[in-house]
Amino acid sequence: MHKAIIIDDERLARNELKKLLSDFPDIEVVGEAANAAEGIEKIESLSPDLIFLDIQMPGKTGFDMLMELERAPHVIFTTAYDEFALKAFEVNALDYLMKPVEPKRLADAINKLQQAEEKELAAAMVGINRGMLGENDQVFVKDGERCWFVKLGEVRLFESVGNYAKVYFGSNKPLILKSLNALEDKLDERIFFRANRKHIINMRMIEKVEPYFNGGLLLDLKAGEKIEVSRRQAVKFKEMMSL
Amino acid sequence: MLNNISRYWWCQIIGWSINIAVSIFFVTTFGEPDNHFFLSLLLTCLLGVLITHIMRLNIHGLKVLNKPIKKQLIYLVGLTIIFSIFFGVITEAIDYLIGYNPDKLQKYTKMQRLFFSSFNSMWLLLVWNMLYYIYHYVERNRTQELDTLRLEAMVKSLELKTIKSHINPHFIFNALNSIRALVDENPQRARTAITELSNILRSSLQAEKMETVPLRQELDIVQDYLALEHMRFEERLTIEMSIDEDTLNQPIPPMMLQTLVENAIKHGISKNINGGTIKIISDFKEDHHELTVQNSGTLNGYIVHSKDGFGIKSTQERLNLLYQGKANFQIRDITGGMVESKIIMPVSNIL
Repeated sequence: MHKAIIIDDERLARNELKKLLSDFPDIEVVGEAANAAEGIEKIESLSPDLIFLDIQMPGKTGFDMLMELERAPHVIFTTAYDEFALKAFEVNALDYLMKPVEPKRLADAINKLQQAEEKELAAAMVGINRGMLGENDQVFVKDGERCWFVKLGEVRLFESVGNYAKVYFGSNKPLILKSLNALEDKLDERIFFRANRKHIINMRMIEKVEPYFNGGLLLDLKAGEKIEVSRRQAVKFKEMMSL
Repeated sequence: MLNNISRYWWCQIIGWSINIAVSIFFVTTFGEPDNHFFLSLLLTCLLGVLITHIMRLNIHGLKVLNKPIKKQLIYLVGLTIIFSIFFGVITEAIDYLIGYNPDKLQKYTKMQRLFFSSFNSMWLLLVWNMLYYIYHYVERNRTQELDTLRLEAMVKSLELKTIKSHINPHFIFNALNSIRALVDENPQRARTAITELSNILRSSLQAEKMETVPLRQELDIVQDYLALEHMRFEERLTIEMSIDEDTLNQPIPPMMLQTLVENAIKHGISKNINGGTIKIISDFKEDHHELTVQNSGTLNGYIVHSKDGFGIKSTQERLNLLYQGKANFQIRDITGGMVESKIIMPVSNIL
C-alpha cells in the first residue's frame, strides 16, 4: 500500500484524479493540498510515498515547492499544457501526466513507481534509516530550465559556495540553496564525509588516497576531482577506514 | 512584333548602333574614311554581337551571376581577355578578306596589328560586360527588396491572424479536465460547460474572418469564458460587470476583450492563493467608447520583462491598423491594488 498526496490548486482537478486513483487499490490518497505551502505541510506531517503535483499553482510553482523539501518523495507531475514544464520533463525524463489524465498513462506511471520501489527496498535492507538522508533518498534540483531528481548515492561531492552548495553528479553541478553545515547534519555520515571546510564527499566515489602536507590527505574522486582532507579530519577518516 | 524582342536584344542593337555612330562621327570629322571602312565597321559590329552573345552563353553556363562578388570580378576580367583575343583575331581576318587596309596601319607587322586589334576589342567588351553585370546586380537587389517586403507583409497578416484566434491551450485542457470531474458531481453543470467551451472555440475560429463584431457578441464569449474559469477557480474568482446598454451595438475587434480578460485571469487570479476580482466596464466617455478590464494585483513591470509584452504590443498594433491612430490602449496600476487595461475607441454610428 502506498500513501499518496494530491497537490493541485483546483478542487475539481483533485477530485478527478482521486476518482481515477480509486481504481488502483494499491494507492491510498491520504491528503490533499491546494498550494505549495499546504503541500509542504502535508508532506512533512503525512510523509507520503508519492505525490501528484501540479506545476502551475498560485504563490509558488510545483518546482519551487520541491526545491524546498529536504527529501523529495516520488513525484508524478500533472499539468494541463505548459511548454516550459514539458521541456524540462523531456530533458530529464521525469514522469508526468497531462490533464485530462488518460487512465492508461496513469497505470503506466504507477507501474513504473512500483518497479523503482522494489529496487530501493532491496537496497534499503543493507542499512537502517535513522532519519538521516541515505544513498537512496532523492533530492530535487533545478538549474535554470533543467531539473533533476538526484539519488544521493549518485552525488560525488558537495561544495560550499556562500549560502549555496554545488552538487556534483554525472556531468552536472547545479546549485542548491542549502549550507554545507546544514547538509552535514542531515547526511548519513557513514557515506558522506566532511573532508574540509568547503567539501563533503561521497566515500564510495573515492578512487585513491594519498598522503598530503601537514599530515593531511589528498583524495582522488572517480570523475577526477582532487579533494584535500584537513589534518583533523584525516585522523577521523583513518579511524573510519580502519574499522 | 517589337514587343517580342527581349530587353537583352534591344540593348545589343542600341549599344552596337551607338558604337557605329560614334566611329563614323570620329572618322568623318577627323579625316576621310578609308576604302571599305563602312563594310569593315558593319562586319565588326555584327561580329561583336555574335561574340558577346557567345560570351553571355558562357556567363550563363558557368553560373557566374550566382557567385560571390569577388569571383564575379575575376570571371569578368578573364572572359573579357579571352573573348577580346578571339574578337581581335577574327576582325583582322575579316579585314584581310575584304581588303580593308587603312594607310596608317600599313607600317606595322601582322603580330602588332593583331595585338592592337585585340586591345581595342578589349575596351569594347569590358564596357559591354560592365553594363551587363551592373544591370543584373541592380535587378537582383531590386527583386530581393521586393521579396523582403512581400515576406514582411505576409508575416504581418499571419501575426494578426494568430493573435485573433489565440486561445490559450492551458485554458482549454484545464476546462476539459474540470468538465470531466463535473460529469459525476454535477452533470447539468457539465452539460452547460461543454456548450460554453464550444461557443468559445467556435468564435475563435470565426474571429479570423471578421474585422469587427458588436460588443454584445464579444461579451457573450467573455461571459462563457468567465463561467468556465469560475468553474475552475470557484470561490477564488469574483466577477463584476458594468456595461452601458447603449454600447452593446458598438463594433469592436473580435477576441480583443477576450485576450485582455484572459491576461487578467492569468496575472490577477491564478497567481494569487486567495484569488481576486475581475471587473469589466463598457461606457461612453466624451465622444469615445471606453472598454475597461480591471483585475486584482499589481503590474510589477511585467510588460517589459515577460513574453506577455507581445500581447500588449499586438493589441496596440491591431488598434492602429483598424482605427489609424484614433484608438488607444493603456495598462496601468490603479488604486485599491488593481490593474486596469483600457481600450479607447472612436464611437461608431452604425445601428
